This record gives sequence, C-alpha cells and structure tokens, in this order.
Amino acid sequence: MKFSPSLFDVRDLTFTVRGNEILKSVNLTVLKGEYCAIIGPNGGGKTTLIRLLMGLDKPTSGTIKLFGVEQNKFQAWHKIGYVPQRSALIDASFPATVREVVAMGRYAIRGLFSVESDEDRRIIEESMEQMGVSDLRNRLIGHLSGGQRQRVMIARALASHPEVLIVDEPNTGVDVESQHRFYEQLRSLHTTRGISILFITHDVGVIAADISKLFFVNQTLLVSQTPQEIVRCEEISRLYGNPSHVVCHNH
Amino acid sequence: MIEMLNYPFMQRAFAAGLIIAILAAVSGSFIVLRRYSLLSETLAHVSLVGVSIGLLIGSNPLWMAIAASLIASWMIEYLRSVHHLYSDSILAIFLSGSLALAIIIVSLAGSFNASLFSYLFGSILSVTNEDLIIMALAGTVGMALLLLFFKELYFIAFDEEVARASGIRVALLNFMLVSVIAVIIALSIRVVGTLLIGALMVIPPVAAIRFGMGFFKTMLLSIIIALVSVIIGLSASFFFSLPSGAAIVLCLLLFFIVALVINLP
Repeated sequence: MKFSPSLFDVRDLTFTVRGNEILKSVNLTVLKGEYCAIIGPNGGGKTTLIRLLMGLDKPTSGTIKLFGVEQNKFQAWHKIGYVPQRSALIDASFPATVREVVAMGRYAIRGLFSVESDEDRRIIEESMEQMGVSDLRNRLIGHLSGGQRQRVMIARALASHPEVLIVDEPNTGVDVESQHRFYEQLRSLHTTRGISILFITHDVGVIAADISKLFFVNQTLLVSQTPQEIVRCEEISRLYGNPSHVVCHNH
Repeated sequence: MIEMLNYPFMQRAFAAGLIIAILAAVSGSFIVLRRYSLLSETLAHVSLVGVSIGLLIGSNPLWMAIAASLIASWMIEYLRSVHHLYSDSILAIFLSGSLALAIIIVSLAGSFNASLFSYLFGSILSVTNEDLIIMALAGTVGMALLLLFFKELYFIAFDEEVARASGIRVALLNFMLVSVIAVIIALSIRVVGTLLIGALMVIPPVAAIRFGMGFFKTMLLSIIIALVSVIIGLSASFFFSLPSGAAIVLCLLLFFIVALVINLP
C-alpha cells in the first residue's frame, strides 16, 4: 500500500468569536497529491478554516499539524502557496509590476540583504511562464483584468516552490473564459508538477469530475472521498439550507 | 549661488536636509502604500511634545523629540495591531492629544516662543554640529534597517496577510518600521519643522506613483523629488530669508502638481 504523508491534519478544531461558534469540532486531513475543494454556504466558515490552517487566526481549541509538524513549530511556510480571495482587489495605482509581484514569492526564502540569484530569476520566469503571464511582466498589477491578476497571484505562490496550493474563491469577479482557463491551469499544476491543491469554490459542478476529496463546511464539516456522490441535489440542498440544483458542466 | 555653501550653517543645513530627504522618501513610500500617511503627521505633532519638554527642562530638544516620537509610535502600533482599533482613529487621537499637551507645556513655560517657531516650521540656522552628528548616526541606523528589510516591507505593504502567511514576521517588522519613521520625523524637525515634515514623507512618493512605474523606479523617483525639493527649498530659504520647511514643502507641491498634469487620466 502506497503511503501518502498528510499535508494538513486538523483535529477537533473549534473557532469561536465573541461567543459565536464559527467552526465546531472540525476534523480534516489533506494528503500529499490530493486535489481538494471546500464548498459551503456563505458565512459557513470556509475562509475561516483556511485562515486557521495558515496561522492567520488562532483556534479556540483543537490541533493543526502542517506537514506532520505542530503549527506553532512549523517554519517551512514556503511549502504552502496561499492565494486569498481578496487578491483580485488591488488598488489600480499600486506601484508593482507583474514581475515584482511574482518575485515576492521568493522573499521569504531569500535571506536578509540578499540580491536575486540566478536560481531566483529562473524560478520567477518559470512561474510566470507556467501561468501565462510572462508577456505582462512590465505591466502594473492594478492595470490587469481580474483573471490576469488571479493568474499573477498564483504565479507568485508558485515562485516559492510550494508543495500545496491553497486558493480561496479564485473566480470571484472573473469572467467565464478566464475561469475555464484557470481550472485548466490548476489541473495542469496538479498533474504535471504534482502540487496538491486545496481551494474554496461555489462552482461545484465544474470541479466534481477532477477532485479527489470534497469538503462541505457549514460550521461543522462533512467529508466525502467520492465527490460525485455528494454533489447530489439533496445533499447540496441539505447543506446549503435551501433547494439547490447542481449542473455538471465544463464551461 | 554656490557661495552660500561657504557658510558653515548652510553646510550643516544641506547635510542634514539631504540625509532627511533620502530617509523621508524611502520610509514615506512604505507608509503611503499602506494608506498610513497620517502617521508622519501624527508623530511630528508628538515630536513637538518632546521639543517642548526639552526646551522646558533645558535638555537637547532633539533627543526628547526622538524619545516622545518613539514611545508614541509603539503605542500607536500596539493599539492598531493588538486592539484592532481603526488606524485613522488612533492617529487622530494621538495627533490632537499630543498637540494639546505640547500647547499646555508651552503655555506653562511661556518663555521659548521664538525657538519653538523654528521647530514648528524649520530653520536653516538651527542645525547644530551636535544635531548633525545625531542625524548622521541615527539616520545610518534607520537607513540600514530599511535596506535590510526592504523586500519584506514591500511585501507587507502589498499584502500584509500573505506576507504573514509566507512566514515573514510582520508584527515585528511593523514595529521596526514605525520606530524608524518616528526617529526620522524627530530628526527632521530642525530642517523641515514639525508641522511640515509630513509633506516631505508623503508628497514625493505620491507624486512618483502618478508615473505608473514599478516599486523600485517609483522609490528612486521619490528620492530624487525629495532631494531636489530640499536643495531648492534650502537655497530659497537662504536667499529670501524664508522658513526652510515652508520653502521645501512649496517646492514639493510644485512637483506634485507637475506629476498630476503630466499624468492626467
């Protein structure tokens, strides 16, 4: 039997804000090589779960292990590429070219006073190439479309050579064609580079065929190893709290 | 024109002005991008409290200004990051509170209005050798810290949350940045004055940003604007007996207007 080490291992995670239980007794495991999606109603705690995984918020109780290490002892943050939801909301006049933004992915790896090495340059170029933004290198990030910005943010995350990519609602404010292209690129990163993927989405239909694990988050968590089964209308309706209809499609 | 540099007080004023211009433009770029521009204005007012205390007790006002500004910067950052109070509200409280305190101290002392005027608006005559040594030393340390953590500070300015998620020690660097800015502002009051230093930190990066370039080029242009403004402002101050701070700020404003006109939408 092939052993797959766990990237994220969450046990009995509870998060409370001023008495309100946002997440309750969540248990979750993401293994190396998995392609996972998190779905759930707005306000159900999806983004909170990601923020807890990334150490941006502190859990009320429970444990989080990253790559087998307790989160408070974890140092190798470059192994996790994180693209938050509001990445697309960038001030139009912010003075940052696409290349400068992608280069930020190397900052945590480079030491103090260090200049960009040949390897840094190669990885930055490679990341831009992979996400198809090389030709935008000298454009200001704030001047790009939502879809282009999203790809730049993924390229930045790739520049740290992550083993897992966490993307929060990647297609907010992105047109349908860019969404399709984005899912293709995500799939390609998973299959060709072996990067594990964990992303939040509302687009259940389009991802159902690709993913290996689907997490429903609505205060608590329901996991399925067979997403195609869970994407049945009655399950979605029950979780979202109203009648829902799922259309499997390929944009 | 070059003969003005024969005067030792002008040599000191230029040396101090050029040090301040570079430090203000570099640190100002970070606070402008973080929508934290009012920090410079607030700490400048806090420095005035230090100056007032210094004049009152007969100690070097520059040291007292540095101490007051540093303590306030740490309190502001603590309230912002730990208590999650709105940045602009905290700054407004410190700005008016420190000004009130400075006015009370000044009115209690009542005897140093003339020297206080030079701290409010800057004076090329007021830079002493001791001031220049303090500026050179503290300025070198401040610049070294800004350069040492340059890329991390840029990352934080762009996206604080992702920087934190990447393992960058954001809280520590934020405290470091406000501390450096506090010292720079306190150092600047001799040349530019407490009421006008905010302009030297904010206008150069804001004008440079209008040209739509990447960060490194924007910062370079920002430094050039600050340096040229200081040179022209100090010269105007010498030839026309103007308060140096006001002359520098008017020059900065001119650059800002030119940047706006050239880059009309």
